[in-house]
Amino acid sequence: MKRLLSVLAVLAATAAHAQPQTLAEGQVIRGRFAQERHLQGFANPVKSEGHFLLAAGRGLLWVAEKPFPVTTAITAGGLTQAVGGKQTASFDAQRLPALARLYAAIGGALSGDWGALDADFQVQREGGGIRLLPRRADMTGAAIKSISLKVSRFVDEVEIERPNGDSDHILFTGQSLSDGPLSAEESAALSRDGR
Amino acid sequence: MRRIAALLWLAVVCAAVLHVGLSVRHGLPLDSDLMALLPTEKLDGAVRQAEEAINARLSRRLIVLFGAADPALAKEAAEGLENRLREAGLLTPGSDIPDGDAIKRLGAAYFPARAGLLSQDDRRRLAEGHGEDLRDRALGQIFGFGGLGDGRLLARDPFFLFPAFLTGLPLPPSRVRLEEGRPVIEDKGLTWVGVTGMLTGDSTSLSVQKRFAQAFGTPPAGVRILRLGAIFYASAGAGSALALSTAIGGVSLLATALLLLAIFRSARPLLLGLLSIGVGLAVALSACLLVFGTLHVAAQLFGASLIGIAADYSLLYFAQIFSPAADARQRLRQVLAGITLGMATTVIGYLTLALSPFPGLRQVAMFSAVGLVAAYLTVILWFPRLDRLAAKPLAPRLIRAAGAVEAFWRGRGPLLLGLAALAVAAAGYRLLSIDDDVRHQQALAPDLTIQQADVQRLLGWAPSTQFFLVEGADDEQALQREEALAERLRPAVAAGALSGWIAPAGLVPSQARQASDRALVEERLIRPYLPDLSAKLGMPLTAPQAGPPLTLQAVLDSRAIALLPAMLIAPGRHVVLLQDAKDLAATARAADGLAGVRFVDPTGEISAVLAAYRERAVLLMAASLLLMAPLVAWRYGARGTLFVLGPPALAILLTPALLALIGLPFTFFTALGLVLALSIGVDYAVFCAEDGRLAPVTMLGVTLAMSTAVLSFGLLAVSDIEGMRTFGAAMLVAVPLAWAMAPLAALAHKRKR
Repeated sequence: MKRLLSVLAVLAATAAHAQPQTLAEGQVIRGRFAQERHLQGFANPVKSEGHFLLAAGRGLLWVAEKPFPVTTAITAGGLTQAVGGKQTASFDAQRLPALARLYAAIGGALSGDWGALDADFQVQREGGGIRLLPRRADMTGAAIKSISLKVSRFVDEVEIERPNGDSDHILFTGQSLSDGPLSAEESAALSRDGR
Repeated sequence: MRRIAALLWLAVVCAAVLHVGLSVRHGLPLDSDLMALLPTEKLDGAVRQAEEAINARLSRRLIVLFGAADPALAKEAAEGLENRLREAGLLTPGSDIPDGDAIKRLGAAYFPARAGLLSQDDRRRLAEGHGEDLRDRALGQIFGFGGLGDGRLLARDPFFLFPAFLTGLPLPPSRVRLEEGRPVIEDKGLTWVGVTGMLTGDSTSLSVQKRFAQAFGTPPAGVRILRLGAIFYASAGAGSALALSTAIGGVSLLATALLLLAIFRSARPLLLGLLSIGVGLAVALSACLLVFGTLHVAAQLFGASLIGIAADYSLLYFAQIFSPAADARQRLRQVLAGITLGMATTVIGYLTLALSPFPGLRQVAMFSAVGLVAAYLTVILWFPRLDRLAAKPLAPRLIRAAGAVEAFWRGRGPLLLGLAALAVAAAGYRLLSIDDDVRHQQALAPDLTIQQADVQRLLGWAPSTQFFLVEGADDEQALQREEALAERLRPAVAAGALSGWIAPAGLVPSQARQASDRALVEERLIRPYLPDLSAKLGMPLTAPQAGPPLTLQAVLDSRAIALLPAMLIAPGRHVVLLQDAKDLAATARAADGLAGVRFVDPTGEISAVLAAYRERAVLLMAASLLLMAPLVAWRYGARGTLFVLGPPALAILLTPALLALIGLPFTFFTALGLVLALSIGVDYAVFCAEDGRLAPVTMLGVTLAMSTAVLSFGLLAVSDIEGMRTFGAAMLVAVPLAWAMAPLAALAHKRKR
């Protein structure tokens, strides 16, 4: 929970950073991703790919298409997950304050406020990359050891290392920024508000 | 002979004072538990033990939240208060909200037993045969955004049942994050930082309250403060009750003293009156300690008021200094029959209280009857020896006033008054309402109630004072019964009767439940879906190892759940805490037909005690009138009895109606006031009947008695404590009524004997 929001925060913040202008309310980033998860105790990585959508002021839709259709929606209200169109998990931000707090950080980041991210991470710049280290053990530190990003115009690649030895590698492609309205389906997925 | 009697009485009084003095040195064995007033057969040890345990926990709990737009400001205020309270030795840390460390210990205690632990939702899905839902959830957690699944957990718990169980635990939540052990909540632009812990010391102790107030100080400017804890109520309650009762007591004492000094122009009647009451109290206290070994605070307070009636004897006696009777002996002779009969009827009235099965009322009866007899003996044995006052003429104005009263009562006055009374009673009784709710009888500071609601809203955690008591042969049976109760509570929560509950079984499932869950998982999830999940992930997965089942002791030893020890009263005896119970009747129905499960409502029980006492007091008033009748009839005949007992009976019948007209309900405390007013009223009637001619000195004595009674009890009608107020109002109305009608008794002609 915490870790995925951290990733979201980073993603959003970096996108905002790379853009000459800040991401404004109503603006949307769309793109595709390929994710590899290396899990401790398992020889083969778990792979998935799909598309994502980040809408300023609304939230994030993360839709894995292969090998299974898994949709994750994150909004200020919380998180929901559906597999094959059927909801399998739901977390209310009211019950998990960490969720609300990190969502606030995203909001700040989306409007170009680096301070919001700065509260939770120490930001190091290394050449073309950015490295994020959690500042405190209690919040994100328990879930994340470090996050490395490769950034051009958008975030191209993310490597997340976990304290337990797991790691995620995510490649982003075909990102685009638009003012375009959300489709009815996307809008519905983001309005479920964690229920 | 009289001299010997007086000396003997002196010896008895000295012995009693010595006895009380010695007892006080070790601290008076006073009982303040309201439940101790309950009839013995209604007491249930298990319920009381549970109530005490829960009450001890809730009453010592302390939460203070500081809110400010600037988190640093709120944190500083919280830190400051915490340090001050700790330095003053008033706070031990402890919170219902588990911190990160406690969560880790919790995980360590639960993890080995995970094969038998299922969240309610997962159990339902498996029982309904939807194992595929749990497989899909696992897939979602592995393939979804960020990945909720953890590699090491996947190897040990492939369907992630354990995290689902942990997040489903009914722990105090959740909106709260802990920073350096302090709860922090963000709400509507403010950051709230809390100080939580347990008060060391008794919140009802005045010295603790004083030290607490000193350490508490005032919050810095710009910081809002919300408080929750019995100590705040106790301080506010004690503060206002103390200030007001001191004020009332002072005014009443001063007014009484001034009145007596003005009438008698000597301090002696006042001092001797106080002496008789003092003797009454000392002897009564000594007798009660001898008989009961302990004394209930309520019995002592009420008994003391009852003994206060003895002041009437002194007043009637001293009114005689305005009569031609030259010396003390003659004065006593004039009033002896009146006060003896008055004392006898009052003692009969009080002793009827002893007929009730309520231990509290029996103590009141014993205390007040003994005290009254002692005060009476002091008047008749000592007063003639201590009275050095010369006879004085009565002011002509007072003589004229007494004459007017007499004329009124000999004319058509009584008839008109009776008709008016009937009309008032008819109107008033239609409006009469009864109120036994204990919460209405005490003053709860309203702003604290609002603050408490705010704290509970912010924390999302509002334990109710009501609970279920679950009993079984052992812990296992109790846990199973809680699981049965949970099935009933779930629909009650859905219907909005309460917002949740915490049962020991919700934290540690019974062994039976763990065994059936283990079988359920094996049969409906592992066997049909594990190979499938393995195949979909492309990696070999193994079923969770069946470790030893979870025990209550293991969770207790982890010290991760602060609430758990408080809920385990004894082996096989548990408490199920309720959260925010709104519909008590619907909540209580959940226990219907369940063996070993009882709904306990401590406030409701106290209200039930008050209701029972109220009914009992009314019945006893009727009984005491009946018991007084033979004595009165012996003295005045059948017709005379009507004239003597009629006026006080009418006064106490009219009072509830009059109070209803001004919107006051009938409560236990009204009934108490009426019991007292009845005895007082019979005294007035007897004094008037004994005189027969309504001599001005008698009218003066009775009027002085009425004035002092109104001054000492009637003033309570301005108290801000509801119980005190209704008691005072009942006295304020009933005593003057009884006084106004008492001259009617003069129409009862003494039977010649």
